[in-house]
Amino acid sequence: MKQPTIKPFGEQAILIEWKPSVDNKTLTAVLQVKQLVLQTYTKEVLETVPAYSSLAVFLKKGVQQYDFINQLSKKLKKIPKAQSEISRVLHIPVCYNPKFALDIEDVAKTNNLTTSEVIELHTKPTYKVYFLGFLPGFPYLGGLDKRLQTPRKQTPREIIEAGSVAIGGSQTGVYTSSSPGGWNIIGKSPLNYFSIEKNPPALLKAGDFIKFIPISEDEYRKIKVEVDADIYTIGEEAKHG
Amino acid sequence: MVEVLKPGLFTSIQDKGRTGYRRLGVPLSGAMDTVSAAMANKLLDNSTQAAVMEFTMMGPRLQFKAPTFIAICGAGFHATINDVPIELGKATEISENNVLKIDHPDFGNYGYLAVLGGFKTEIILGSRSFYNNITKKKRLEKGDVLKFSTTTSKKIVRHASFSIDEHHFNDEAIEVYPGPEFDLLPKKFQKIIMDTTLKIGSQSSRMAYVIEGLEDISAKEIITAPVQPGTVQLTPSGKSVVLMRDAQTTGGYSRILQLTEQAICRLAQKRVGKTVYFKLIEHL
Repeated sequence: MKQPTIKPFGEQAILIEWKPSVDNKTLTAVLQVKQLVLQTYTKEVLETVPAYSSLAVFLKKGVQQYDFINQLSKKLKKIPKAQSEISRVLHIPVCYNPKFALDIEDVAKTNNLTTSEVIELHTKPTYKVYFLGFLPGFPYLGGLDKRLQTPRKQTPREIIEAGSVAIGGSQTGVYTSSSPGGWNIIGKSPLNYFSIEKNPPALLKAGDFIKFIPISEDEYRKIKVEVDADIYTIGEEAKHG
Repeated sequence: MVEVLKPGLFTSIQDKGRTGYRRLGVPLSGAMDTVSAAMANKLLDNSTQAAVMEFTMMGPRLQFKAPTFIAICGAGFHATINDVPIELGKATEISENNVLKIDHPDFGNYGYLAVLGGFKTEIILGSRSFYNNITKKKRLEKGDVLKFSTTTSKKIVRHASFSIDEHHFNDEAIEVYPGPEFDLLPKKFQKIIMDTTLKIGSQSSRMAYVIEGLEDISAKEIITAPVQPGTVQLTPSGKSVVLMRDAQTTGGYSRILQLTEQAICRLAQKRVGKTVYFKLIEHL
């Protein structure tokens, strides 16, 4: 993989950029540099924000941007090749019942599928969590089947409830808190994706994998009760890089 | 303690913001005009981390349940204690059960009220800054009761005061660095951006300010990437916005410019319809 470029991003931040791309290799490089920056420069760095193929590094007051860029460039030249890592695959229960899946018929129609085929195609892949953004804890996922791509709605909804599983263009995701939104809702997940009382507050993290597991409305209710009581254990398996 | 008798148009508690959680998609938040908020704290010799009350266009009415010192800075609001006008930009003593009324501003958008030691609302993820779904409230409501430190033993320099910095409110120049996608714009577009007199659009909020006047140019979407307060985004349909304190942490529009911290504060104080222009400064 080619060396990333580093440039200033305003007064007190820098941006590390790889070739713009949505792929596993690039993300691995982004997350590796993120780790390195956070471990090596605790005195200089306030926080980092990773995305598909770039990483913003926010610097503490008084840190000289250009000195930091020079130091980091040297450091990145000697970065070891990324080790393949063991990641976790989290099982995300989703109820695709029409009661929750307000737009599943539109998604089916748009793609000449039946609703059961939509569910089958949506639950088949293992999705990668590229990074979190948009809403607290909201995962940007990679891996949606091309046959499910559906344009965003012409008129966004004023409120999409937290837990709604949706498709917008070539992306799929879970609304982690209630928010206005234009994606097509195809189901609902009973899990709690962001809680200020948890550490870390977000359920998912960049680099995780997830699989959507179809559940009935009864199971949805049962899990919801367990989640609210904080006794639900999320299903998990290991995945070798 | 202080009780909110009337909340005003949109009043919240803000500090320097919620750092450390942006990688989880939690916005930075914090005072829109950090320069004015810092002045209010400074007048009371508060820590720079102390939380202040931010209000806009119509200020709050507050009853103090304990004596303390206050200071109001920022936009040109009018304030009274028990109906007696007080001077802004100055530490002022307030007694038990006194009512502070903050009215409309003559100029600017955001005002800041500091109390001795700062407001002691709940700290969530390292910050007291209000934000929807992170703090319990996104704005103060009638009947809310806020704690503040009750030590009045601190020495206040009563004669210290700040006069209004005319430049902060009147200058039309908004200093910007080139943004990550600036160099990808055609030279002609770059020139238009720097030469056009722009207008603050309605729909401006703590999340973003809409900028009118660049409708003839546009930029391609990018692969979703980090953004921050002060990032100027240009959309494929020619809409431009400046992201403000409550902005999302990542975005998919071209990041053409990046405001300086001071420029964010100055822009925050520009009302809808006011004119501004971007002044490019190069990275050293």
